[in-house]
Amino acid sequence: MIQHTFGLLVQPSKQWRAIAALEESTMRTLLIYPCLLAILPAVAWYYGTTEIGWTVGDHGETIRLTPESARQICILFYLTMLTCIAAIGYFVHWMAATYGAQSSTTRGIVIIGLTATPLFLAGLVGFYPILWLDMLVGVVAVCWAVYLMYLGIPIVMNIPEERGFLFSSAVMAIAMVILICLMVGSVILWDLGAAPVFTD
Amino acid sequence: MSELNAALEHPTYNYKVVRQFAVMTVVWGIVGMLVGVVIAAQLAWPALNFDLPWMHFGRLRPLHTNAVIFAFGGSALFATSYYIVQRTCQARLISDKLAAFTFWGWQLVIVSAAITLPMGITTSKEYAELEWPIDILITVVWVIYAFVFFGTIAKRKTTHIYVANWFLGAYILAVAVLHIINSMEIPVTMTKSYSVYAGTVDAMVQWWYGHNAVGFFLTAGFLGMMYYFVPKQADRPIYSYRLSIVHFWALVAVYIWAGPHHLHYTALPDWAQSLGMVMSIILLAPSWGGMINGMMTLSGAWDKLRTDPILRFLVVSLSFYGMSTFEGPMMAIRTVNALSHYTDWTIGHVHSGALGWVAMITIGSIYHLIPILFAKPRMYSTSLINTHFWLATIGTVLYIVSMWVNGILQGLMWRAYNQDGTLTYSFVEGVAASYPGYVVRFLGGAMFLSGMLIMAYNVYMTSRRNVESQALPANAV
Repeated sequence: MIQHTFGLLVQPSKQWRAIAALEESTMRTLLIYPCLLAILPAVAWYYGTTEIGWTVGDHGETIRLTPESARQICILFYLTMLTCIAAIGYFVHWMAATYGAQSSTTRGIVIIGLTATPLFLAGLVGFYPILWLDMLVGVVAVCWAVYLMYLGIPIVMNIPEERGFLFSSAVMAIAMVILICLMVGSVILWDLGAAPVFTD
Repeated sequence: MSELNAALEHPTYNYKVVRQFAVMTVVWGIVGMLVGVVIAAQLAWPALNFDLPWMHFGRLRPLHTNAVIFAFGGSALFATSYYIVQRTCQARLISDKLAAFTFWGWQLVIVSAAITLPMGITTSKEYAELEWPIDILITVVWVIYAFVFFGTIAKRKTTHIYVANWFLGAYILAVAVLHIINSMEIPVTMTKSYSVYAGTVDAMVQWWYGHNAVGFFLTAGFLGMMYYFVPKQADRPIYSYRLSIVHFWALVAVYIWAGPHHLHYTALPDWAQSLGMVMSIILLAPSWGGMINGMMTLSGAWDKLRTDPILRFLVVSLSFYGMSTFEGPMMAIRTVNALSHYTDWTIGHVHSGALGWVAMITIGSIYHLIPILFAKPRMYSTSLINTHFWLATIGTVLYIVSMWVNGILQGLMWRAYNQDGTLTYSFVEGVAASYPGYVVRFLGGAMFLSGMLIMAYNVYMTSRRNVESQALPANAV
């Protein structure tokens, strides 16, 4: 499984073709991939927000979360990541017929889980949170993930590249909608009691 | 000049006014976006106002919004509506003289705005800053615009009225009503007037206008554009004609109610706020009707994508349209609005609509129009269109993402308080923390602007009579 991570970072095209060639049953085991990789950012941010802390603006006061609050938030964070991947993956499968591809829910989720690789790895910045650095790494990771998706969907779905471009653009729109759901969801959750508790 | 133009004249249709507006769309796009990039730079590096009053953010910001919405967007809507109404009604505009009047009148409005706003002459109503003499000029131009548009529909040679004209007609009528009601004001001097409405009512009328300027000017008008140019460029019929009619009526009926979401947690009565919020959420459905129709029309034209970057502009514009019309209702929820209001999240949302949807669909449509208007087989350079596409897309994404980060950061900082109830951060600490986002936003905006400059060059080369279009790359990507 680890070779997929490296493969997608180093030789994405070749790696996607290898994944496309997998049997349906082997493909199914790849459902574990996002479940494992999503642990990285969750743990990183738990450590970063409780032990290291971060600063905002010019003045040097470090902000930290209490361990209880951070645990609650990081578990929610982990579950949210997986829910999003499952949701986007399901939509990939749902739209596949429109773009003339043979698909299954598993295939959809596997594509999206693998596509998210750069994002999971970028989540490691959580170990030492610095706002501007996180933003920078985040932007690079998002670009990479988008590139992986545009590359991977036509290969794994076995459709012409141009059709894949439209397919990927539709997935992109869905991903953005889900991102907004996330932002809105967190704001509402803050109101309902999952607000972060800061140490004094 | 007249012989030069005569060579380009269409035997049946009035292309001259369309051509004038199309070229000015590009010109005003560059001007408006340049002002936008300047004020974005001022937010990151405040010294850039050079202590000159007319370079101040507070004066340039309305100039930016007026230039991009009414000069760039307005010219694009004039150009495309005059083109679409002639082509789909198979009739020449009812009056060439009046059409020419709307062109010169509208340019005069824009130039007056560009002079008065930096001088600090303003009604202080957002998106309706222009003072009363200009308001009257707008009204005159607009009424004549409506006459030319509906007059042309009246003399049509086809039996039915194509759906794009429904959207364009709704936009022209609604903008007339909105502008006249919101700009009711009592003149004091030539350059100063006061609104006839007072207090909360003034605010409500203002945002009823403000939100429907978004709804009818920037949504209905551009959906009209979408309903003509997407099927045309894809060379396929619209996916569902029935859907287009259903979502037209739904959009028109619901949009007009959504204004109060701009006034959450203000002196506006709670019931009005709740009504605005509910109507805003319902609005998602009709908004998405247009996206689904456009996307499904385009999905059958995938084989053309390789050679046609114009199609990509249309695809991406619909994606951003779908995203921003989803984001809007979410931000209208009061709980969310409590955090997002007054932060950069709002600015990001506006620009995902303005850059991602309005500008992208305009650019795609103008690229479709320019060769037709200048009697050329295609644009001078297809690869430059492709470059423009990537600059515009990446620029928009950088813009939106930086504003999301800034918005949530600001929202959280403003509401953070200590155990003794005092605020954790002063306002200026929130500004300082926003600095990285402002730099990224400036970069995104500058990329978008540079794409427009490339477009201007491409349009100029296409318009030259003695220049052939470049050969299509053998393996165009």
